[in-house]
Amino acid sequence: MLKKIFLPAVLIFLAYAFWQSSDFTEIAAGIALFMFGMLCLEDGFKAFTGGTLEALLRASTDRLWKSLAFGMGSTTLMQSSSLVSLITVSFVSSQMITLAAGIGIIMGANIGTTTGAWLIAGLGLKVDIAAYAMPVLVFGMVFLMQKSKTHKGIGYLMLGFAFLFLGIHFMKEGFESFQQTFDLSEYGMTGFAGLIVFTLIGMAVTVIMQSSHATLLIIITALSTGQVSYENALALAIGANLGSTVTIVLGSIASNLGGKRLAASHVLFNVVTAAFAIVFIGQLAWSVDQLAHFLGIRQDDFLLKLALFHTLFNVIGVLLLMPFVPKLEAWLMTYIQFKPKGMEQPLYLVPQALETSATAVNAVKMEVRHLFDNAYGLLAHGLSLRRATIDSDESLSDAVKYTRRIFPIDVEDLYEAKIKSLHNEIVMFIADAQQRESTGTAPEQLYHLRQASRDIVESVKGMKHLHKNLAQYGLSNHLAVRERYDQIRIHLAEVLRELRQLLNGDVDDVNHLSLDALRVSSQKARKKLIDELDEMIRHRRISASIATSIMNDEAYVTDIVNNLIDALSILLNEPDQEAVDSLHLDEQELSELTGE
Amino acid sequence: MKASKLMERVKQYLDSDKQTQIDKIKSIRKVLKELKQKERSLTEKLEMEQDASTKASLQLKLDVIYAQRKKGVDRVQELKEQLKEQSN
Repeated sequence: MLKKIFLPAVLIFLAYAFWQSSDFTEIAAGIALFMFGMLCLEDGFKAFTGGTLEALLRASTDRLWKSLAFGMGSTTLMQSSSLVSLITVSFVSSQMITLAAGIGIIMGANIGTTTGAWLIAGLGLKVDIAAYAMPVLVFGMVFLMQKSKTHKGIGYLMLGFAFLFLGIHFMKEGFESFQQTFDLSEYGMTGFAGLIVFTLIGMAVTVIMQSSHATLLIIITALSTGQVSYENALALAIGANLGSTVTIVLGSIASNLGGKRLAASHVLFNVVTAAFAIVFIGQLAWSVDQLAHFLGIRQDDFLLKLALFHTLFNVIGVLLLMPFVPKLEAWLMTYIQFKPKGMEQPLYLVPQALETSATAVNAVKMEVRHLFDNAYGLLAHGLSLRRATIDSDESLSDAVKYTRRIFPIDVEDLYEAKIKSLHNEIVMFIADAQQRESTGTAPEQLYHLRQASRDIVESVKGMKHLHKNLAQYGLSNHLAVRERYDQIRIHLAEVLRELRQLLNGDVDDVNHLSLDALRVSSQKARKKLIDELDEMIRHRRISASIATSIMNDEAYVTDIVNNLIDALSILLNEPDQEAVDSLHLDEQELSELTGE
Repeated sequence: MKASKLMERVKQYLDSDKQTQIDKIKSIRKVLKELKQKERSLTEKLEMEQDASTKASLQLKLDVIYAQRKKGVDRVQELKEQLKEQSN
């Protein structure tokens, strides 16, 4: 119920906010572009998996010091720790680098980002990344339009960067007016309370600005004009570091488990570093004074001293946590687990079922039936028919004939959520069961059941292609085309109905033998369709291109049907199978009945 | 039937004892009986059915059952003959 009202509520809120504030529209557009950029980057990096980039990345991140140097160097060059962190999330998400290497890069990026403070404080320079967005976007699109996988990958990467730049740009623009309202001099505070309050202010400003660089710019400007004290400025810098974690958390929303673990490590690292800096602020300030004296920085040059403080506490944070990186990685792997929403969970594969081989076999058999049930629903919807229609005695020809629309389902998504996830669980459970029981008939039965599970998965894969063409030609105005697709749909629907009845009916020997009739009817339907298509091509009633599309789809249907029959032949297997098997028709006998 | 399959059957036969042969015949006969029942029920349905496509589908099922029964009967015959030869 809550799920159903959540999306409309969010949409209504957004629409209202867009109507009320143009600034908000700009910020929201920035976040949308930013997240889209993240998705493009992930796609782009995936194109290079297994290639030279992976080798290069692995070589430059195979030791912790190398990862640190990589993070430091790239952040210094790009002048954005957020960007480096986000790219690292992409690397880890696409498994191009390990989580430990990712943590190393993030740590390095935290040191690299302090060069920004030096640049702002020392030179007052800052690279405007948004200026590069437009040409990168155009170049990216040109690359994306190429056929080569590598070019497409480069295109996605460029688009990803461009959208990230644009996103940050839009967010900054949107918050420009917000920035004006922050007059920090009014809130000057001293002591521990001042430290905490200004850390929180620094954090809040960075969260809103989505850039610790921008916050540092404000802090340095405020410090130079005397709006904030040196003491408060140090607290603000600590807060800026903490606030920057929100960017990577936002980026990890669109990423997978690896990305989420990396984001968690970033949050942990920054929180520990900030806690250390808050507790030892006095000692750190003293160290900064000593180092400043050693480096020849004037005692009253608070801008450079602030930059020095920023660098010092980040370096100390890295030194503190560096020895714990392997432990941190193991901890993240253990404790950050999640079951993606909407993913089908097994109903029968409980650990207790592994106790005996009989219970294990039975649990797997029930789970494969569950998988079959899911596949049945998906295939029915793929044919734009309701499950209830196929389950009933209703005329399938009428149901197909009176179809007004092709169901707009995402077969790929449903396959991942309802089929593949369950198949994975079945395979894992079987592996566990086989490890416990290596003798007797159970391993063989489990082997067959795994094959049945695989057959079901393969049948759904066929629907991915078929549904695409059904959406295009299924309700075609060209009568001959529509009739052929109707024929394909009716045939598959009939097979689904028969299989369902066989699976749900009383298990007897004749049920298993009925599968032969299904094989013959499938071959006959195939032969009839091909003969009709040949006839139509000869009489120019249909173009060769559409005819070949129909033939391809017919081949998908044949694969779907064969895989389902194979799966059922395992699921319907009974102890008295030998006698039944001796009565099954072989290939030649089936062909004779088909008339081939 | 392929030669290799035939050889396998012969080998199976030579390896099995007389009781196994009898059990095999019994279990095939049980399946044949069930097939016969199914055939009757389908024939009744076919006689009542008006729709041409459903009729064709029922006829196909009957054809398959007929072929399976014929195969079963042949197999029983074959086993019986082998049994006879064994006792002589």
